Amino acid sequence: MLSHRRFMTTASSRYLPLRALGELSETRYWMYLLLLPSLALILLVIAYPTLYGMAISFREMRLTRPGLDGWVGFKHYVAMWSDPVFWIALKNTVVWVAAAVALELSLGLLAATALNRDLPGTKIFAVLILLPYFLPNVVAGHMWALLLDPRLGVINDLLVRIGVLQSYKAWFADPNTALAATILVEAWHGFPFFALLLLAGLKGIPEDLYKAAAVDGAGLAAQLRLITLPMLKTVIAAAVILRVIGLVNSPDLLLILTGGGPGDATQVLSLYAFQTAYKEFNFGYASALSVVMFVTLMIFAAGYIRISRITKGQGDD
Amino acid sequence: MIESKRQRRMIANIATYIVLASLTVFCIGPMIWMFLTSLKYEADIVTQTMQYLPSRVTFDNYVAIWTQSGFPRLIGNSLVVTFLTVTVCVVTGTLAAYAFSRFAFRGRDQLMLGYLVVRMFPAVMMIIPLYVVMRGVGLVDSRFGLALAYTSFLLPLFVWMLKGFFDSAPKELESAARIDGSTRLGAMVRIVMPLARNGLVASSVFIAIAAWNEFLFALMLTTGQGSRTWPVGLQLMVGEFQLPWGVLAAGGILSIIPVIVLFAIVQRTMVQGLTAGAIKG
Repeated sequence: MLSHRRFMTTASSRYLPLRALGELSETRYWMYLLLLPSLALILLVIAYPTLYGMAISFREMRLTRPGLDGWVGFKHYVAMWSDPVFWIALKNTVVWVAAAVALELSLGLLAATALNRDLPGTKIFAVLILLPYFLPNVVAGHMWALLLDPRLGVINDLLVRIGVLQSYKAWFADPNTALAATILVEAWHGFPFFALLLLAGLKGIPEDLYKAAAVDGAGLAAQLRLITLPMLKTVIAAAVILRVIGLVNSPDLLLILTGGGPGDATQVLSLYAFQTAYKEFNFGYASALSVVMFVTLMIFAAGYIRISRITKGQGDD
Repeated sequence: MIESKRQRRMIANIATYIVLASLTVFCIGPMIWMFLTSLKYEADIVTQTMQYLPSRVTFDNYVAIWTQSGFPRLIGNSLVVTFLTVTVCVVTGTLAAYAFSRFAFRGRDQLMLGYLVVRMFPAVMMIIPLYVVMRGVGLVDSRFGLALAYTSFLLPLFVWMLKGFFDSAPKELESAARIDGSTRLGAMVRIVMPLARNGLVASSVFIAIAAWNEFLFALMLTTGQGSRTWPVGLQLMVGEFQLPWGVLAAGGILSIIPVIVLFAIVQRTMVQGLTAGAIKG
């Protein structure tokens, strides 16, 4: 063993630092050394900014008015309570996220069930259906703005042709349809995520269960209710919470499609916080908004996980 | 009885194909429409009667976006930022994923959970302090600064995904190499990493696509031509110059080509990694 190692060292003696590293890898601190770079980076770009951001929410910080500075305690949080836009944004967030997740889950379940039948030629469908998930928000947003455009949108044209609409409609400019239109775009972008996870879940259900159920005379609806949904429970629960977190946190698509308008019809919390920071440079209030959003989301996630019992190890199927 | 069973099967198959075809139209239709729009003259886009297939084809829109708007510069910046992000994630994340996959040590589970939890932090909550901190050290409007900001949400993702791939690489070969006198480092570099090569590529591609597409951080953290990435540039062009639809569509098509190509190459492995990670997590 010893002579062998000496042989190895002479073979690589040109790379002295490498040899030292190799020897270091034999010590019992090796795994900590491996973790060190990523951990340092995460502490630097996540942990520190997060704590700092929470501190900012108790301060006055406006880049446009550098004179205003200093601790203000709970001022921003109190102001939020009587800010009508905050309450509208909160309500819109709930509606937007709930509707988008429900729609994406249904479409994803439909896609996964169809793909799971493994009929000839369905592999190519799987790839094509997955594609929207990887497209950038900026392109997705403008693409749908073009499709739904009040003057030259092809969807308006199609709907008029088949007689659903009398005339072209300005989907994003009408407060009654703006939120629904953005939900449609979000569903297009996000449902492949559900399809992907649910398909993996479906693959884990033994075929025998369905055969046994068919022998007992269970129809397709009964099979879905008695086998598929219960077996998929963990996957659905995990996919839903991941998606809810993603949707609450990312204002990108709404920023591109409507900017929160018309009026505040599509204003959501994350967008409101971002615009408060980006347009008004009111960092204190924007931080307070995002802290409230984060805490609400965490409470929701904790409650949700408790109720749906996604515990460790259970989801390994 | 047998006849009706076969019939029922036939109907179910037809229904499956109808569902798949409709979903595919829903998914791909908008992209095809954007592509067709990018090939039309502006006069054929803004018409009284909708033109479904372009009556005449032009590449003027592509020429316009490439030559008139500083688009190559934006694409170049995006390439640099994406490359830097992937490099940082691969160098630091591979080590961490390996440690999580191969060693049992105190605090391992808590640390892994921590890597998962930081992914839930809202982007807006990170953006403000990151902007203030980076302005303090001169990293606002810098491509490296932006890449560093991207690692805040992509590094944890990369570690989780790659750990799954390392987990499924057999441990026996590694043990054999160790018995033959290879160091832990040697075994990791020469045995495990080649075994998990596909996973490493797929995880890298996944974060490369995410970095390439990212919009919100870039909007806040870049202010000038020097570091602005294409999503921000394209968005600002729409606002500032009333970009014609055809040109905008051409810009969209150009910028998603790398995404589609990369996705097509590694989609199988990437899907495997994504689902394994998400279902376990």
